Amino acid sequence: MKTRWIIFAGMFVIVVISYLMSVPFETQPSPEIQKSFDFFESLPESSVVIFSFDHEASSLPEIQPIALVMLRHAFKNKTKVIGLSLFAEGTAIGYRMLNKAANEYGLKYGRDYAFLGFKPQHISAILGIGESIRRVFPEDYLGNSTDTLPIMHGIDNYDHIDMVVTIADGDRPAQWIEYGGANYNQQIMAGLTAAMITSYDPYLASGQLYSVVGGLKGAAEYENLYGKRGSGNRGMLAQTSAHFYVIVLIIIGNIIYFRNRKRQGRG
Amino acid sequence: MEIGTLIAGILTLAIYTFLYKDNPIYRVAESWLIGLSIGYTLVIFWQTTLVDNLFNPLFDDGKLIMILPLILGLLMFSRFSGKISWMSRIPIAFMIGAGAGVAIPAMLYARTLKQVSASVMPLMGNNGVFNFEALVVVVGLLSTLAYFYFSREHKGVMGKTAKLGTYFLMIFFGTTFGYTVMSRMSTFIGRVDFLLTDFLHLVK
Amino acid sequence: MQTRIPLLVCLISGLIMFAQYFSSHPVAKSIYENVLEWWQIIFAFTLLVGVAAFIKTNLKSISQKKDAPYRTISLLGLVLMPILALIGGTKIDTPFLWVFENMQAPMQATVFSLLAFFVASASYRGFRARSIPASILLVTALIVLIGRVPIAEFISDSIPKVGFWIQNYPSMSARRAILIGIGLGSMTTALRVILGIERTYLRGN
Repeated sequence: MKTRWIIFAGMFVIVVISYLMSVPFETQPSPEIQKSFDFFESLPESSVVIFSFDHEASSLPEIQPIALVMLRHAFKNKTKVIGLSLFAEGTAIGYRMLNKAANEYGLKYGRDYAFLGFKPQHISAILGIGESIRRVFPEDYLGNSTDTLPIMHGIDNYDHIDMVVTIADGDRPAQWIEYGGANYNQQIMAGLTAAMITSYDPYLASGQLYSVVGGLKGAAEYENLYGKRGSGNRGMLAQTSAHFYVIVLIIIGNIIYFRNRKRQGRG
Repeated sequence: MEIGTLIAGILTLAIYTFLYKDNPIYRVAESWLIGLSIGYTLVIFWQTTLVDNLFNPLFDDGKLIMILPLILGLLMFSRFSGKISWMSRIPIAFMIGAGAGVAIPAMLYARTLKQVSASVMPLMGNNGVFNFEALVVVVGLLSTLAYFYFSREHKGVMGKTAKLGTYFLMIFFGTTFGYTVMSRMSTFIGRVDFLLTDFLHLVK
Repeated sequence: MQTRIPLLVCLISGLIMFAQYFSSHPVAKSIYENVLEWWQIIFAFTLLVGVAAFIKTNLKSISQKKDAPYRTISLLGLVLMPILALIGGTKIDTPFLWVFENMQAPMQATVFSLLAFFVASASYRGFRARSIPASILLVTALIVLIGRVPIAEFISDSIPKVGFWIQNYPSMSARRAILIGIGLGSMTTALRVILGIERTYLRGN
């Protein structure tokens, strides 16, 4: 049987068994997660935050727990949320997640939250929001004129937005920072897939990015702070097992490599 | 079980057949996915941009200046004609020029000046304690930049500095690899969650 | 003319967008907002062109009987989504959103999740401590892999701390160098594009 099928099968079995076992983990929140959490805790009621769903459907398993826990936290603290998307697939997903989280708190569309929809040219949209959000989004995703939405009263541009939270799996946060942050001094927070975390470390260190909630572990830590476990925590044992499986594979691969090298050296 | 969940489960398993080898079941699912993705994107682009930002202002509000972007947009289709295909370069040039114009200050400020200023940290704190991390950041930054400086041969001091930069790059790649593994595993765990919870009802 | 007009358009739009950064005059702001809006609209037309090209290519392949069944399925999917949007709209609980949530999104997530298997396989086959740089890469990856799971805190508090230190200082500094390099390169390229020195977007001219 080919080695790779054994590796694939091993991976599948380990993750499925670990997931079925479902052991709850208490994890200490990292400084960035704590900072993100504290920000929403400190926001006065009726503050306005933009959630930008800048991701594809492919990263949904990782992105959804992050987005949901942050939205729930925002809504719990009576923060008004304006949703939008700079990625086509993020539109339907973001709209669904926004409604799901809002319905849990009995919030009303148009008054407590709104979803403005999608714009394809992201740099133009980010810069345009800095001048006039209505000009970029004359209508919301449902076809209502933006002017008629109560949540949009008094909201013209970034001057009236307390934070932009970009939920992303690629380089959209960089554009938010480089255009929204640099041109308009808008604070940016990011919910990222783990693969993108290291790409944004320099922005975090320089203060251009306020904070990051990254990966399934980040979602799990945030959920622990929020006080309600979700899919972030459920996957932690499976995540741990998968990591150790990869570590074992690396070690076995290197043992075989050095053993073969030694034999070739002798022969 | 809802019909939607059943269909999602079947399509998920169809995609996973690729792990055995490329096969017609996988290819059918993949082709269906490609078609749906393009169709979905077409609808979203049309509704959220062309209707909201072009057709409504032009035809409903009578904003005649919007004829200009409409003409520029339609010029894109000239690439399908042999004789006038060069005209499709005009709207492309417009977009490229606009992008380049806004990029210069953004790249200068956000990627260069701000990053350099964040790297300049005092090596000695106010309490007289040596700031080792500041040294690591400066040394890492300069040595990695030295590695990417190809206008001078990497020999002597330059060579040693570039080699040190290689080691810092390896640390970055190792960290990125670790997080990438974490990310990919999370995506798979999400699919396992769907299969075990919603599809097979083995987990509540 | 075929080259000069696009180069002139690029120069004008580039200079306008660059200059507005330094001006808050109402006329400059108005021009800026118009350019941003037109940019958005023209960008949307690029997708329409792409869709037209996709349909043209697939129809040609179908007529030549190259992977005809698969290409037909793709075209059916492409046509289905606009029809569903026209019939039921795109709000919650519409056929359009139903197809997206029960077909497109699950398939997309599953395709991406295949990478988990290939990462595991690649880790076994390719991740070797062949040299000092490779060993550094390997050790760093192992520290991060162990450090970013909950069980690390139970083994020792130091493991996640070491992982964070590596991430926030040596790794970050290398990434910062890459960012600065990209920033300088992007600035130079943008300037070359505006001035017409860089012409690759003109398709070979």
